[in-house]
Amino acid sequence: MSELVYVNNLTKVYEKKKMALDHMNLVIPRGKIIGLLGPNGSGKTTLIKLISGLLVPTEGEILINGKLPGPESKACVSYLPERTYFQGGMKVRELIAFFSDFYGDFQPERARQMLANLNISEDARLKTLSKGTKEKVQLIMVMSRQAQLYILDEPIAGVDPAARDYILRTIISNYNENATVLISTHLITDIEKVLDEVIFIRDGRIMLQDTVEHIRESRGKSVDMFFREVFAC
Amino acid sequence: MLGKLLKHEWKAVWKIPVLLIGILMAAAVMAGMTFHLPIWDSEWVGLPLSGVMLLLTFYVAIIAVSLGITIYFAVRYYKNMFTDEGYLTNTLPVTSHQLLLSKAITMAAWNLITALAIGASIAVFVGMIVLAFIEPGDGRTIAEAFVEAMDTEFWDSPYMQEFGSFCVSMAVMFLANAISGTMVMIASITIGQMVRRHRILGAIGAYFGINTIIQIISTVIIFPFMIYNFDNARIETPFPLMSVMYLIMAAVSVIIGVGLYFLSEYLIRRQLELE
Repeated sequence: MSELVYVNNLTKVYEKKKMALDHMNLVIPRGKIIGLLGPNGSGKTTLIKLISGLLVPTEGEILINGKLPGPESKACVSYLPERTYFQGGMKVRELIAFFSDFYGDFQPERARQMLANLNISEDARLKTLSKGTKEKVQLIMVMSRQAQLYILDEPIAGVDPAARDYILRTIISNYNENATVLISTHLITDIEKVLDEVIFIRDGRIMLQDTVEHIRESRGKSVDMFFREVFAC
Repeated sequence: MLGKLLKHEWKAVWKIPVLLIGILMAAAVMAGMTFHLPIWDSEWVGLPLSGVMLLLTFYVAIIAVSLGITIYFAVRYYKNMFTDEGYLTNTLPVTSHQLLLSKAITMAAWNLITALAIGASIAVFVGMIVLAFIEPGDGRTIAEAFVEAMDTEFWDSPYMQEFGSFCVSMAVMFLANAISGTMVMIASITIGQMVRRHRILGAIGAYFGINTIIQIISTVIIFPFMIYNFDNARIETPFPLMSVMYLIMAAVSVIIGVGLYFLSEYLIRRQLELE
């Protein structure tokens, strides 16, 4: 089975009849770094939450590694949300113990190494860290798993350019070759260089799914330029 | 996985309830100590009022600690399941049953611990008052007289028939209420999440709604029983009747608690919608 995620006729309607995803069909292959790109309100985060099991579809289905979202799919998906989601009172050391307990694919030594590289103490409480450092800790935890699918929702939004480089290096150097990384972002220029494929999404529908190389060759422009053209207001 | 969830849940929550219970115990000792002050031997007219005020203050401390712990666990459940922290909680590779059980067991256990701690604090407070008003050396004589009086006047009295089974049924009801109370709290917060734009208001509304329904169900079940049994009750002792009534109330509590558990589990599994 070459596809990692199979999305069939997926629809999500929020209250007041707001349709976030509209009968979406999508196949996400293995072993790729994929950019999930679209304007605000296009349905990126809704799709990510559905794959992660944080929302329930109104209609249609998602299969991750052949399984519906549930404990088995969550065991092979490593998800970084766009917000700070760890308990502030926890120490970094406790976080490592927590991840080690629940995720069989978590590699504590790798996490410790990355934390040491950034001079982040394991005895530090999360609430005492700056926002940027907290985001780095979150990324380290997520990327220290040997997951099959990494879902990173806006991983470089709100951090300085140096931190962006660190985050992208962490993503590239830590993901397993057979795994897929799905990155949702607006900052296309920064991540374009690491992407294999892109998915353009608008109004809850897939507009385009193509390789970065093919877009550059066939359109004669970067993904960033092409995105601006497609989603011009 | 349930064991791991329980371990981490317990580690995350124990400090605040222990702190509050510690404060209550300290308050019990301090309030009890005031009865050992020499002022109680004086003729001051304000003494009775001071005693009442002291009792009231201790009563308020009990209510504050009990309410504080309940609110702490309600907020903890809401934050951990349905706010930013929910992004981690709900992406753990565990079933919704395991998740809910870990929260419910921890909360129910702390409900019981809190109730026992309140009982212990009252015992400490009352014990210190009693010690303040007996002469040194009289303790043993008084205790012996008390035990003898209990033997002759209390245990052998027809009034005390089936007092033991009454105590057992009261303990069963106490346990059942710890479970149903926990599930009312969990179900209220979970149902409140269905009111997407006003989740906290929804939870408060659900709490009062569920309690109203429980009151109606309890009344419908208990009232005919009481009418029937009061006509046929043995007048010399109320305990057999009360035992049965408490056991029925415990059964109603457990049934409601189990129902609310399955409702909450369904809502978490099928209606979860994190902001």
